[in-house]
Amino acid sequence: MIDKVLYEMQNVKHRYGAGPVTLDIEALKINEGGVYGVIGPNGSGKSTLLKVLACLEPRCEGLLLYDGKDTAGNEIKIRKEATYLLQNPYLLKRSVYENIAYGLRLRQETSNMRDRIYASLRRVGLEPGKFAERPWFRLSGGEAQRVALAARLALYPRVLLLDEPTANVDESSAQLVKEAAVSAWKERGTTVIVATHDLVWLYEVSTDIINLYHGRIVGYGAENIVTGPWEARGEYAVRVLSDGQTIYGARGSESGIDAAVINPSDITLSRALQPRSPRVNALTGTVTQMTLERSTGHVLVSADVGGIVLKSRVPVSLVEKESLCPAAVAALVFSPDSVRWL
Amino acid sequence: MDFIIDGFFQAIRLIVSMDEETANIVLTTLKLTGLSMLGILVLGLPLGFALGYFDFPGKRFIQTLTETLLALPTVVVGLLVYAFISRRGPFGQYELLFTVRGMAIGQLLLGLPIVIAHTAAAIEGMDRRLRLTLLTLGASGSKLALTSLWEGRFQVLVASLTAYGRIIGEVGSAMMLGGNIKWHTRTITTAITLETGKGDFALGIALGVILIAISFALNISLSFLRRRAES
Repeated sequence: MIDKVLYEMQNVKHRYGAGPVTLDIEALKINEGGVYGVIGPNGSGKSTLLKVLACLEPRCEGLLLYDGKDTAGNEIKIRKEATYLLQNPYLLKRSVYENIAYGLRLRQETSNMRDRIYASLRRVGLEPGKFAERPWFRLSGGEAQRVALAARLALYPRVLLLDEPTANVDESSAQLVKEAAVSAWKERGTTVIVATHDLVWLYEVSTDIINLYHGRIVGYGAENIVTGPWEARGEYAVRVLSDGQTIYGARGSESGIDAAVINPSDITLSRALQPRSPRVNALTGTVTQMTLERSTGHVLVSADVGGIVLKSRVPVSLVEKESLCPAAVAALVFSPDSVRWL
Repeated sequence: MDFIIDGFFQAIRLIVSMDEETANIVLTTLKLTGLSMLGILVLGLPLGFALGYFDFPGKRFIQTLTETLLALPTVVVGLLVYAFISRRGPFGQYELLFTVRGMAIGQLLLGLPIVIAHTAAAIEGMDRRLRLTLLTLGASGSKLALTSLWEGRFQVLVASLTAYGRIIGEVGSAMMLGGNIKWHTRTITTAITLETGKGDFALGIALGVILIAISFALNISLSFLRRRAES
């Protein structure tokens, strides 16, 4: 199941009207039954990617296959299987029950509708007896988000696309939304594709992470993106951090030096502070967060280095050996050659 | 001054007793406006939805044209329709002149721009998330249009009531196309015009009170619906 390719993109480009290119995906495959995280800074194209996958935005160029078939001309059929939850959901001007029933009625799946609606409400932590008949305007922001998710879950979708589902809700609602999304994946094998800034959750549950920057995929996993200003110094580009430390990156012959990406696996971590050298980046930072990365079985250690956060991917054994923990001071070492330019 | 006061008291007696002639005039008015509104809504709602929902070349021009037609003089509509449905006109064979159906055509042309313009504005002004939500829940085609209209039902109702207010109070086209024929095409507004000319203020005032009562009920409904739409 996990190896079946559900989506395949080749040289897909998207732009809104006559505007600039907002999405430029050279190649991407999404397998059925996985949990995919889409991360990147604001404006990196996360929402656009999700809308293109949900057939809500047409691609301008390239090839997009769903279940082996071109999505062009099959949008209505695909939308019945792949459903998208907006960051700020819209509820129809009717009761909670009718909001959830809407999609089921469109699919003519009404035989056990009440059971499905009630089950999906319970799944998002809303008691049906209390909420089912409640009108749309008597819901808080978190409740509205959960009703919108329940309306998608009740459809038993093949693909669930979530656009920053926890961005605008309180902590308890966010937890319920996350649990409901994971349960859809576990219980029904739903492919979940989620754009979020909640990296801790994502590293824990996702099978793959797509890292976007300016509409392009810059890596798979927890890449470090270091934005400018970078200064050209001979064969290197240098980024001076707020505490005076510097990152050296080897300049390519053709690429610009606006922003750099560093793979966390290329950064080694130790408690013993390293001497600085122009040939190697040896930075001192404070560990702020440690997360078990489900997809690799390694630990992602985030450290504050001169005002930016760098992540290092280390084996569990190293964490124990070096006694790494939040607030520990550690050395982050990586070669200037491991700095790639976006 | 006395004749106005006398007329007012006689009008109350007429309304309370609802004599046959007054009842016929009110019924003809309701029949005419009901028929007109049926045509206005059947044509106006889908056209208004299309104008508000889709982007196409010439959309701005059509919107400007529709908004211009909002102020179309009733006598001009009467004149145009008269030319088309009179015996010499292209639709003369259907014998629509001086009938309620002929009058309804004139009122349809008066009310249609109102429903189209207001529905288009309501659809265009809708939350952009509505379309995405409906599409991703699996709606398409007519279901998408009907649900969008239903979501904007308060604004659409306001548009319909505004159109009804326009046609029930117009006199120009009703007079020209209906001929103000007693027991046949005489409506509240044409009757008031005639009775005032004859000096029979009692019937004129009685019909005026009924017309004002209908307008008042419409305005109350409009205010209520506006509040609902804004909440």
